[in-house]
Amino acid sequence: MTQAVAIIGTGQTECGKRDDVSYPELIHEAVRRAFEASGLEAEDIEAVVSGSMPPAMEGVANPHLYWVDAMGAANKPLIRTATCGSTGMSLAHTCFYHVASGLFDLVMVIGAEKMYEGDPQGTMATVADPFFQRPFLAGAPGIFSLQSNEWAHRYGLEEKRVRMAAAQLSVRNHNDALLNPYAHIKVKTTVEDVLASRVIAYPVRMLDVCPGSDGACALIMASEKMVKKLGIKTPAWVRGIGYCGEEAFFGEGDKVVWQSAINAAKGAYKQAGISNPRKELDVAEVYNPFTFQEMLFYECFGFCDFGKACELVEQEVVMKGGDLPCDPSGGTLCTNPIGATGLQRTAEIVLQVTKKAGERQIPGAKTGLAHAMGGLDQFNGVMIISNTLQ
Amino acid sequence: MEQEVAIVDAVQTRHGSALKENIREIMFSTVRQLLNRVGIEKSEIGTMVSSSSDYWQGISCSNSYYYDAAGANLKSGSKAAEDSALGFHYGAMRILSGHYKTVLVTSITKCSEAPPVDTLTHLATDPFFQRPVGLNETISTALQAKAYLHRFELNEEDLAGVPIKNLANAQNNPNAHRKGVLSLDDVLASPTMASPLREIDVPNTSDGACAILLATKEVAKDLTKRPVFVQGLGWNVSETFLGDRDLLNGSLPKAAKMAYKMANIEKPLDDIDVAEICDTTSFNEILWTEQLGFCAPGKGTDLLKDGITSMGGALPVNPSGGLFGANPYVARGLIRIAEIALQLKGEGEKRQVPDAKRGLAHSVHGLGGQLHSVVVLGV
Repeated sequence: MTQAVAIIGTGQTECGKRDDVSYPELIHEAVRRAFEASGLEAEDIEAVVSGSMPPAMEGVANPHLYWVDAMGAANKPLIRTATCGSTGMSLAHTCFYHVASGLFDLVMVIGAEKMYEGDPQGTMATVADPFFQRPFLAGAPGIFSLQSNEWAHRYGLEEKRVRMAAAQLSVRNHNDALLNPYAHIKVKTTVEDVLASRVIAYPVRMLDVCPGSDGACALIMASEKMVKKLGIKTPAWVRGIGYCGEEAFFGEGDKVVWQSAINAAKGAYKQAGISNPRKELDVAEVYNPFTFQEMLFYECFGFCDFGKACELVEQEVVMKGGDLPCDPSGGTLCTNPIGATGLQRTAEIVLQVTKKAGERQIPGAKTGLAHAMGGLDQFNGVMIISNTLQ
Repeated sequence: MEQEVAIVDAVQTRHGSALKENIREIMFSTVRQLLNRVGIEKSEIGTMVSSSSDYWQGISCSNSYYYDAAGANLKSGSKAAEDSALGFHYGAMRILSGHYKTVLVTSITKCSEAPPVDTLTHLATDPFFQRPVGLNETISTALQAKAYLHRFELNEEDLAGVPIKNLANAQNNPNAHRKGVLSLDDVLASPTMASPLREIDVPNTSDGACAILLATKEVAKDLTKRPVFVQGLGWNVSETFLGDRDLLNGSLPKAAKMAYKMANIEKPLDDIDVAEICDTTSFNEILWTEQLGFCAPGKGTDLLKDGITSMGGALPVNPSGGLFGANPYVARGLIRIAEIALQLKGEGEKRQVPDAKRGLAHSVHGLGGQLHSVVVLGV
């Protein structure tokens, strides 16, 4: 049995250093808001899905069992999904399959992270295998700066031009985050500020890189018959999903013409019947922990030809008012509670296509793409969401 | 559920206390063996769902380390963490959605490379209330067992038959690495670990892996002469804090109810021919058999003593030897399912239950049995 799936409620917490709440309290904040947005209560939910980054991030080995009461999950089926940085998108997919399978009609999914409680870069270094990669891996920026340099080198892109495009994306994200009540980093910045900020791992500078945040995000998904039964007026329909993983070792795959990113998008486009994403998508939330990497995704997702992503920035295609505005939420660049991040991308697209995005609303947005990436440049997941079922 | 999902085949490692190969090597050889047995190439696999634990593997985002070794390079995949039976449920849902015709479900744990169970389960407690008092899996279970013995006016000797039965059964399982003949005196001579549990009541951990190929009914019939159908799926979680629950009436009856409803089972003892249960301790096998509805509350020890759960009984429990035979922590749930598939295919060899047509596989993780899973399979 297979059935169509809609997202009927989103709940996000304010993100940042949330030392005003415990981990379960943070979860509850997102859950409560998802209930308020959908008019449902915990008793209505048939099953729950939850996840986060490696539990070593917060130091509790089974976070899903720790969060049970905060999620209202007691006496319900519960599965923990965790796939590194792509956790949020994998969570959305796990929840999708619960409903699409026909086993459930109303399922809640929660992703969260409380990164100020641990040592995020230390934890992320333990994602690498203990024999070959871990001895020289310095947290996340190392991997992504290698990828950025490889990309610029492959296409012979001039250093000055790449840095300028990245700086423009940084400014765009920081400006957008000012309009997002849930965003973490809220600072007004300029291209000159970005270009002058200190180097973290060349070419990535301080204002090219995301923070680690405390935050949680919850979504409620429903079957078509449940949408009708509940009389939901503005459902956001899941039109396509795609996910792809690749080799464990960073050096074994091409990270520029990046097959897992290409496959994830292709799979989702095929299900959604999208042949020209640049034209058919109205908005995209591209997972952008690093400004440079966002441009690489534009190419892998077919927004432009390979090697041409800088043009999308220069011609303001991906800016507000352009053909395909990206990351109106301010993106991962400004808010990154990792286990929730992919769900936040999804929630933002839901809000955009249902015209609930407030000050940051993209006019006329009907169909959007949400994305997350994880592992040592290993996993990519995509979801296409639309305000219509067909 | 109309038997839309089937197990094509299943493969396990020869489990051990410390396997020599590393996690990638074990995962690769287990999946390779499964594909060879079925006679298909990895290109024919639709998607892969795996199950592992970051803490138990000592590698964060544990699935990233073996993803390609499990045959999933450039494929879609995901992870259901901490209990591989949940990976099985997720794999089945991927087929039921109509998105995939074949799903590889895999799991691995090398406990020999991880700290002891009670160190890791202590880290699973909340940091404010439970951790300061030193709670862990063994202590939680001891509290539960004390409550049980008290409520039903039983004593420790009533629990002693479980390791005797299961270690004897394990002698017939070539994949088990602990097996033997024990007497009642041997059990009662075992030193106390956390009263009323003795050292012998708590199965030690193991290294091991398991891989199962799921497929739609049609594809399964093409790939094997003996498909085993998924008739019922159920899983359920209890509250976080032990004190908020009735430790003797938790989430297992709810998980069982969900699976039984799907499988149209009304009288489990009559309707099920064989069961593989996560005997996390001697006592737990008894409690879980009650909560699965095989008998009334407090009557689990009678079920054991009357031989109903022994080989040759009306409902043999753990012909494989259960966790007493091998306990690769996260992989053990999938191994229970693989064992039932083996029984229903009639390939149980020395541990075969004659004429087994329908079987139940149970799994659990979390303190005091917090998250339970029930799978009903049939032919």
